[in-house]
Amino acid sequence: MRVILESKVRKKPNIPIEAEAIIPRNFLKGTDLLVYEGNKERTLSELFWIFVEGTAVSPENIEVVLKGDTSRIKRVGEYMDTGSILISGDIGMHCGNFMSGGTIEILGNADAWLGREMRGGTILCRGNAGHYCATGYRGEKKGMQGGRVEVFGSAGDFCAEYLAGGEVHVHGSVGDFPGVEMRGGQLIIDGDATRPCANMKDGTCVILGRVHEMIPTFEKVERRVIPEWNITADVYRGDIANRGKGTLMVKTAGSE
Amino acid sequence: MNEILVKNACVIDPIRGINGDIMDIAIRDGRIVESVSDRAEIIDAHRCLTLPGGIDSHTHVCGTKVNFGRYMSPEDMRAGRTRRHGRMHVTSGYYVPTTFGNSYRYSAMGYTTLLEGAMAPLEARHTHEEFTATPHQDMLANTLFDGNWAVMDAVREKNIPKTAAIVGWTLNAVKGYAIKLTNPGGTEAWGWGEDLTSIHEKVPHFEVTPSEIITTMIRANELLRLPHSVHLHCNNLGKPGNYQTTLDTFDLVPDLNPDRQTLYATHVQFHAYGGGTWRNICSKAEDITRSINSKPQIVMDMGQIMFCRTMTMTADGPMEFNLHCLHHNKWSNHDVELETGSGIIPVTYSKKSAVNCIMWAIGLELALLTKNPWQCLLETDNPNGAPFVKYPEVIGLLMSKRYRDEECATLHADTERRTSLFALEREMDWHDIAVMTRAGQAKALGIVNQGKGHLGAGAEADIAIYPIRTDSVDPAREYRKVVEGFQKTRFTIKRGRVVSRDGEIIVDGANATFWTNALIPEDIRVDNDPEFIRRFQEFYTVRMSNYPVQDLYLPRGRRVDTEAFS
Repeated sequence: MRVILESKVRKKPNIPIEAEAIIPRNFLKGTDLLVYEGNKERTLSELFWIFVEGTAVSPENIEVVLKGDTSRIKRVGEYMDTGSILISGDIGMHCGNFMSGGTIEILGNADAWLGREMRGGTILCRGNAGHYCATGYRGEKKGMQGGRVEVFGSAGDFCAEYLAGGEVHVHGSVGDFPGVEMRGGQLIIDGDATRPCANMKDGTCVILGRVHEMIPTFEKVERRVIPEWNITADVYRGDIANRGKGTLMVKTAGSE
Repeated sequence: MNEILVKNACVIDPIRGINGDIMDIAIRDGRIVESVSDRAEIIDAHRCLTLPGGIDSHTHVCGTKVNFGRYMSPEDMRAGRTRRHGRMHVTSGYYVPTTFGNSYRYSAMGYTTLLEGAMAPLEARHTHEEFTATPHQDMLANTLFDGNWAVMDAVREKNIPKTAAIVGWTLNAVKGYAIKLTNPGGTEAWGWGEDLTSIHEKVPHFEVTPSEIITTMIRANELLRLPHSVHLHCNNLGKPGNYQTTLDTFDLVPDLNPDRQTLYATHVQFHAYGGGTWRNICSKAEDITRSINSKPQIVMDMGQIMFCRTMTMTADGPMEFNLHCLHHNKWSNHDVELETGSGIIPVTYSKKSAVNCIMWAIGLELALLTKNPWQCLLETDNPNGAPFVKYPEVIGLLMSKRYRDEECATLHADTERRTSLFALEREMDWHDIAVMTRAGQAKALGIVNQGKGHLGAGAEADIAIYPIRTDSVDPAREYRKVVEGFQKTRFTIKRGRVVSRDGEIIVDGANATFWTNALIPEDIRVDNDPEFIRRFQEFYTVRMSNYPVQDLYLPRGRRVDTEAFS
């Protein structure tokens, strides 16, 4: 079954919509869902043209497609456990919070907090992601704990902060402090990064681009060839300021 | 004229010796009276358990330390969220809730008076501001003197009147209620990079020992005739083997006051550990309670821990640093100029941890082994041991051996071997609980004369009516009903107004803040002492004239005058 939600033109398009109800499982029983526009409760049909194609008996066969101006819609796919969501444009903050299964594909850019505290499933972002991509909530000890986030563009600051499990792959560059406070999992950055992995405890971070302002509390272990990536990399251990046991691999300049 | 008549109340009022009588309570203009006119509003209690309003004699709900706990724990604000509703503000948080969250939840449990466990004098303004925003409970502030430079100088000179004069002036200036000593000397020593391991070690640069601070302050407290005794958080909190320090401290305490205790030892659970390391830690609750049972001059509170996630916050900076080294989690540390310090870290008490299970057992052992319930009050050192919303569960555990057995069966296997809890048969009755949650506190804090903790004519009309029928509920078997009953009152009446009905707050609060004003003879007042003024101006970052808290900060301050030195 495919559910197509095409956003209607709004008088005030900047008022955010809080739409945690948009997850595939909820469409099994119809489309009478409630969302908030600012502080006003709305039905889904007040904000979207809704088209339903086919039927489904189980939620894993449901695909939700979001079209139109979706850049101010927050919390799409929160607590999603199965099925798929396709977003043809940009998406607002907190997309895929606490997601545990299924797939979200974003063809445009994602705003901040993409896949916050994710536990499983896959998020593919074809454009850029904002700050705090694949992180945890403020103050919480563990961020993303499982699943996969792949960003084909660049990501903002604090990418994969408190990462505790799963895989985060950014094909472009990232901003300041990627992988800060990492506890586990894997972070791969194809582009450049600034001050990566501060206070890292565990896990692996691979940076194929250039590192700006390397944190001084990382201990260089060796330089070796990493067959998985077909590169020569400097391998660091840290963050030794806090007895961290993480691994940070940075591609050696000029090696292919 | 505002009149209420509470009919058919099953009253337990330990201070007046009433135990389960069915009676009516008449209220006029916020006070309990003998009778009211027939125009009075009638509340039918339906023979439900009716107690004086609950009093918490050691809790951390207001002040810089608590607020920094909130600041450090944004994740806690995801829990306990409630919407604005009727008279109720938005609340959030579980172990460090917003001030209104604290106030509403205490009110729903029937609590009407709270003593903030530790207020740094220099940061009193913030504490008083938060008192105003905790509107449904009358507030009292324990004032920290554990590392006060002037006090330590006076102690070294063995000058009790001067010590008393400094304490009296400070309490008046910061609108505090009583003397709190937190790890006396230890926090200050740590500020100089040292750690005290016994009460007979000297604080560097001050050449005084914790035992000298404690004994001098006890005598100064009695010289000032303060309503409450010295409120002590003993040295070596949370260290395996610290029970010896606690026993040594108890042995220092003379019996100086016929009306109340001479020392209030707080959260003693954290001070009753045997063994030498975290691996062989064991309970020494039997030794502690043997000492308490032979010393009527000491009252303690349990400091019970419950299994949950919470926040520890105390003026005991070095202890929090040691905990931080254990947990490697976020940590805050703070030094308050010439006065004290503090530390904050989050903790999770887990049944998988043998140490946590032993701590849990020790709290209950202390309560069950203390013969006189007036000497062991029910507290979790909120939020250090557990948030106060866990009190009903503690009550359930004390009243039911069956409940304890069921809990014990889920604990770490070492608990039975290293504590004596499993063998304790005692089950407390309703009267014991009434003593441990209000009457004992009122007596220990010296606020019976202020009309707290009892329901006699002239008392403040603070009343909690719980949906529990003591004649039909058997707490030993139906402990679930007891826990649920104590979680939410049918009515909480505060100063003659129904503030909470079935857990919902229905009026705006108007609390009072009690503070003590010791009338000290002119010739020994420290604000006339040039040396005191000189040192103040030299070492503090504030001027002495800007130090006292203005009356503006206490919109409903209630001054308690004491005839000091008489």
